[in-house]
Amino acid sequence: MKTGFLAALLALAAGAAQADVTIYSAGPGGLIKDLSAGFTAKTGIQTNVFQATTGKVMARLEAEAANPVADVVISAAWGTATQFAEEGLLLDYDSPNAATVPDYLKMPGAVAQGVAGLVIAWNPASGTPRPSDWADLAKPEYKDLVTLPDPAASGGTFTLVEAFVANGMTDVLEGLAANGAIVAGANKAALNPVLQGAKAAVFAGVDYITMGAAAKGETVEAIFPTSGTVVAPRPMMILKSTENADDAKAFVDYVLSEEGQAMVAKVFLMPSRTDITADRPLIGDLKLLPTEGAPAREAVLATFSGLFN
Amino acid sequence: MISAHPLALSLRGLRMAYGDQVVLDGIDLDLPKGQVLALLGASGSGKTTLLRLVAGLLMPTAGTVEIAGQTVAAPERGVVLPPEKRGLGMVFQDYALWPHLSVARNVAFPLEMQRLPAAERAARVTQALARVGLGDLADRRPSELSGGQQQRVAIARAIVGAPPLVLFDEPLSNLDRELREGMVEDLAALVANLELSAVYVTHDHAEALALADRIAVIHRGGIAQLASPAELIDRPASAAVAEFLRLGTLLPARCSDGEWVIKGTDIALGPGPDAAAAQVLLPERSLAPGTHGPAQLRAEVRSMQVRNTGFALSLTIAGTDLPVRLLSAHPARPGEMLALSYSPDALRWFPQAG
Amino acid sequence: MAAGTAAAGSQGSRTFLWVSVLGLLLVVALPALFIVLVAIFPRIGSGSLAAPFVHLIDTLADPDLARLGGNTLLMGAGTVSVAALLAVPLAALRALFRVPGALLWDVLMLVPFMIPPYIAALSWIMTLQPRGYMEQLTGVNLGWLLFSVPGIMILMALNTFPVVYFILSRTFETVGARYSDVGRVFGAGPWRAFARITLPLATPGIAASLLLVFAMTIEEYGTPAALGRRIGFEVLVTGIENRVSEWPIDLPGAATLSLVLVTMALAAFVLQRWLLSRRDFRIIGGKPQMIVKRPLGGWTVPVVLLFALVSSLATLIPVLAILASALCRTISGGLRPANMGLDNFAALLDAGGSGLTALGHSLALGGGTAVVAGLLGAITAYAVVKGRGRMRGFLDGLSLTPNAMPGVVVAVGIILAWNQPWLPLSPYNTPLILLLAYTCILLPQPVRYANAALSQLGDNLEAAAQVSGAGANRAFLRIVLPLIAPSILTSMILVFAVASRELVASLLVAPIGFETIAVYIWRQFDQGSVGMGMTMAFCAIVITTLIPLALIAVLRRLSRQGAPGLHPA
Repeated sequence: MKTGFLAALLALAAGAAQADVTIYSAGPGGLIKDLSAGFTAKTGIQTNVFQATTGKVMARLEAEAANPVADVVISAAWGTATQFAEEGLLLDYDSPNAATVPDYLKMPGAVAQGVAGLVIAWNPASGTPRPSDWADLAKPEYKDLVTLPDPAASGGTFTLVEAFVANGMTDVLEGLAANGAIVAGANKAALNPVLQGAKAAVFAGVDYITMGAAAKGETVEAIFPTSGTVVAPRPMMILKSTENADDAKAFVDYVLSEEGQAMVAKVFLMPSRTDITADRPLIGDLKLLPTEGAPAREAVLATFSGLFN
Repeated sequence: MISAHPLALSLRGLRMAYGDQVVLDGIDLDLPKGQVLALLGASGSGKTTLLRLVAGLLMPTAGTVEIAGQTVAAPERGVVLPPEKRGLGMVFQDYALWPHLSVARNVAFPLEMQRLPAAERAARVTQALARVGLGDLADRRPSELSGGQQQRVAIARAIVGAPPLVLFDEPLSNLDRELREGMVEDLAALVANLELSAVYVTHDHAEALALADRIAVIHRGGIAQLASPAELIDRPASAAVAEFLRLGTLLPARCSDGEWVIKGTDIALGPGPDAAAAQVLLPERSLAPGTHGPAQLRAEVRSMQVRNTGFALSLTIAGTDLPVRLLSAHPARPGEMLALSYSPDALRWFPQAG
Repeated sequence: MAAGTAAAGSQGSRTFLWVSVLGLLLVVALPALFIVLVAIFPRIGSGSLAAPFVHLIDTLADPDLARLGGNTLLMGAGTVSVAALLAVPLAALRALFRVPGALLWDVLMLVPFMIPPYIAALSWIMTLQPRGYMEQLTGVNLGWLLFSVPGIMILMALNTFPVVYFILSRTFETVGARYSDVGRVFGAGPWRAFARITLPLATPGIAASLLLVFAMTIEEYGTPAALGRRIGFEVLVTGIENRVSEWPIDLPGAATLSLVLVTMALAAFVLQRWLLSRRDFRIIGGKPQMIVKRPLGGWTVPVVLLFALVSSLATLIPVLAILASALCRTISGGLRPANMGLDNFAALLDAGGSGLTALGHSLALGGGTAVVAGLLGAITAYAVVKGRGRMRGFLDGLSLTPNAMPGVVVAVGIILAWNQPWLPLSPYNTPLILLLAYTCILLPQPVRYANAALSQLGDNLEAAAQVSGAGANRAFLRIVLPLIAPSILTSMILVFAVASRELVASLLVAPIGFETIAVYIWRQFDQGSVGMGMTMAFCAIVITTLIPLALIAVLRRLSRQGAPGLHPA
């Protein structure tokens, strides 16, 4: 009986090993599933997907460094791409489909799959007035009713805090801390209490997650603050160690194709290509806070934990 | 399993030590086939260790163990057979019945290990259980049986495989006295009927005397005496053996001018060995009340116990603290002086240096 | 066996010693070795031995370490205390008295094993936080208690106390009332007889199970992550997890913190060994005894109420909260009839089969792990308890090590060890790697259970088998194994339950494209489908509870007469 079980496991393993392009992707899982299915349907090339958080993807890459398995990596933090590029891990590829991707969403070795924006995720049933800007959440109406993701765990929140530091807006964060806002782990951990009504709003919610929840019928609204926000492009990279460079390139082409970008738009991410429309505000519609002049990552995180601990 | 070899067990120069601590040393003995050897000794004397060496549950430091002519342990020659290769039967002090198996399965276990066919196994289990009088309890769990019944199961398990040698490790010490006496008789009958060769460890000399053909008195890791029961009682090899067997009173004696007297008194003891001092065994069974014997003593009654076989008197030899025990047909009062007679031939002399 | 040694016959089981040594080296020592290596050589992941010790010293000199370590000890000690408080009285009552509905309580106490801790924490949050299910139903919330250090301890104790309950009720059953009866004859009241005789005799079980709870607690990630982070209560495991899962990744730092954690668990283990070595606790001699339980008399109602209270806290509330979340169409809709339905269940059964596939994977892996870990654990415990020599301490320590290695660290160690390019054959990227990971993480459970059972087994039972002609291996299989089987079975069920829902290691080492229950649930949460995740969690809990129960029912039927004390756990 035991040998039968082992044989079954090995058979499963063999099935997994035959695929051609191996993709490590940060969430959302539905998107990468659709993209790889569409890619296989179009090109006949099989795919293998490992999907987890950006952190888990990076941890697996690091542990596998001696014998890399992945061909394509999609993360939710642009900083991972700049670091990999510095370490010389990336294969430079300029996809023909990236022509309409703006320059700030590509670099040698990486191109954005799509872009997420940061919002206030507000529960209209919470009995609080609708906030319109970040500073509103420091008002007494929201006392003890705000969560925010930990910038150490959420790349998006980090970018927002970075922008606040760069633009001298840390008083907003001070006000939040004084108003009893709690730091609640990663993005999902911050959103769930808002959905149930334990909290009224997420400061620095992720737009596509919030919109996705609203589309499922949850009572929650994504509000783009009037003073501006930041975006988090999701880099897509081909590792230099790949043995399937052609297939990997084909996959990048597919994600940047009209069909692929439509899938990106379907999960409420902003498409990287400016010529693709989506049923949500696009990058061009947003007021963006610059992050130039911000100190190093450790300094930003230290400022933040100084305020909240 | 029954071997043609004349010796069921033979031990030569057996030694067992944990580092510097010597548990057994210089053990030599032979057990002819069909006989029962008792290993008799106080607790801590090494008798259980000796049995476990024979069983293979312990390995000797030196010497050889032969069972039915086969060498099973000879560390110097690199022979160390594990217990399961020795083909023994063994009864443990705590019975060691397996609680998860029925009585029949417990008894059948050694036969299963011999890979006997099921039909023969069943027949022999039934036979073994019948021999110990438990034929109708085969399907019970050991936990449902009384102590005496559990003991019988353990015995059935030990004899079912007709082993060339059966080991008994104080098998009756967990039973109450009445049951024990009954079991001694049953065991003796069983051993005789089956012509078992057996080694029987006990600290109870009554059990040893009743069951054994030969008794090895173990004292401080060595054999103090190896003899038949009658010989042992009649001619103990040392004062220590006599004392352990509770054969009688050990009197300190001194020889002055060719006359032996009890030390510190002028009570004469008759002719003795050629030495200055000795211990003298005055056997209890040689004493009789009255003045009819060839030699006499006076003793004072200290206490009396009523027994179903008579009156057990505790006395001291007049003018000394030396205790004497006597089973008398008549009661006596504490303080009363009695005359005791004995035969000087019955005295056993153990000369001492100095 | 060398000539001239004073060895007991039972040491003849060399085979088992070597099976155990090889198994442990492969399953435990190898990944652990790579963790040590990565702590020393930060670049070992890319095959370089550059900059040794630099990172180790940095991490150990970090003042944060004292805070994390202190919090970990505090949480471990607190949880052990609460778990003991809950479990010891219940176990004693269950073992020594005829408790009405005993089987039902056993089954209910079994369920917390089947609830993944992260799911349990989430369900408690959704129940107790402001506007949670409790406030929706009763108007009060207990958020203040939940998000506090005592709250974390209580929650973790509710997850882990069944370990103590099951080990101890077996131990108390074996000790039975006969020794305390002796105490009562000599003038001790029932309470004193229990405290002075029964309780001390149960020391091996108490020490082993509380140690297990301590190790499980300091290694647990889900609850401190869900609750502790909110109140700034960080422990070593969350510190480790942060270093592994938050970019930029710090594997050497995580490895170093893991070594601190392992040291803590080993210290607890040394303490346990010291406690046990001072006395002999063998109580199953060769004289089998009947187990007789007493009636409760006037205490029946209070005792039943106590069992009902504890089991509903540990089982009913979390399971109902999970079910409620599974039945709600949206979380923000709350517990209104209009918001409730079976949509999520329909979607789970229907969703292109991926949910069902994940279930199948997890059940197969859980079963496989239970068999492998159960056997290896039993053999290891045997080699440790009945064997001799220096190997014993080494084996015992090694078998406990995984208890202190957080799942995520085991996962990293396994990837580092098995993804070396020079390996001709590797289970990496096959489901076998999960089997290895789960066996490593869960091995301590069967080892502890078997250990407690074996140390109560008289030596002569085995000696009798050997004298009867059974070799060491057969004596083990025919006599020792059946006698410790109830304990092994209990631990295997535990292993099955935990392996079939393990999350942190699965997420990292799962072969590409291979989903297990936990990974599926996690992905659902990640996509914002809390309801779908909870639906899967509910189904998994039901299935992982029913399978062992069915198994036990079959076993009980097979052995009607029953080995003493085979009860469903």
